[in-house]
Amino acid sequence: MQKRLLLFAALIAFSAPAFSQKFFTRDAKVKFFSDASMEKIEAVSKSGTAVLDAASGAMEWKVLIKGFLFEKALMQEHFNENYMESSKYPDATFKGSITNFSDLNLSKDGAYQAKVKGKMKIHGVEKDIEVSGTLTVGDGALKIFSEFTVKCTDYNIKIEAAKVANISNDIKITVDATLNPMKKGN
Amino acid sequence: MKRIIYLLLAVAFAGGAIGYYLWNKPHVDMQTAKADLAIDAAALFNEYSADETAANAKYLDKMIAVSGKVKETTKAEDGTVKVSLNTGSDFGVLCELDPLSKHPRSEFTEGETVTFKGNCTGLNFDVQLTRCVEVK
Repeated sequence: MQKRLLLFAALIAFSAPAFSQKFFTRDAKVKFFSDASMEKIEAVSKSGTAVLDAASGAMEWKVLIKGFLFEKALMQEHFNENYMESSKYPDATFKGSITNFSDLNLSKDGAYQAKVKGKMKIHGVEKDIEVSGTLTVGDGALKIFSEFTVKCTDYNIKIEAAKVANISNDIKITVDATLNPMKKGN
Repeated sequence: MKRIIYLLLAVAFAGGAIGYYLWNKPHVDMQTAKADLAIDAAALFNEYSADETAANAKYLDKMIAVSGKVKETTKAEDGTVKVSLNTGSDFGVLCELDPLSKHPRSEFTEGETVTFKGNCTGLNFDVQLTRCVEVK
């Protein structure tokens, strides 16, 4: 009986490596940049969340639209009221997974190129997207960095003809996050 | 005729001045801004957990003063300070200190009761508040 208990304990101990774990952050930095001929616009949120399942490579991201801070108050107002309608659509989300997950070894320190595929939801519109990024394993944490472009027109974000020189249809998004093993009370 | 030209010039100037003012309109001064309402951290979190849509209708984009006990303070490499207020749940009310305000302190002791004033941006695991300043 005792042997069996021991065996059971050993099984539990060995079957729970870093692999079967979820990684989490509430400090993901999400930045976007619009580079139109007349004007450059930039905003950042430092409170995005991300959960990554280290067993499957599945991930979920979420950022609150009203949490984006702009240099100019007026831009922030227009962004929320005219373009993102953030009272109606308070967040942007991404749900997807790493498609080349077998090329990555999350139990070994190092930097890996990750390809991610999934559903991006912005302004209430959901789109399939594919992006790539760097996933760096080190100090027990996963660092994720990615840069990609989304089109306003893909998410039904309307830019009036008069603003075309001020706001680009192509918005560059930068995601920079360090995910730590999820623990209770995180 | 001259009068009309002067008038037009005045209108153009006023228009330009208003445009310029709006363009450079500063962000709300969080130190002097008045909170729309005050609430306990646990009560706010519970309302969000129960019905996010209803809570958003009430609190989203409102300047609220939230009181609670400090659970954790984190400081990012770029200097961003976040204080998590205990709600008795795994997640809480996460207050991000305002990067545009001067803060008398950015260290908070676990368990101490504090009040932060900030903009409620919604639910993302925690209820998040941006541009927070401590209210004494």
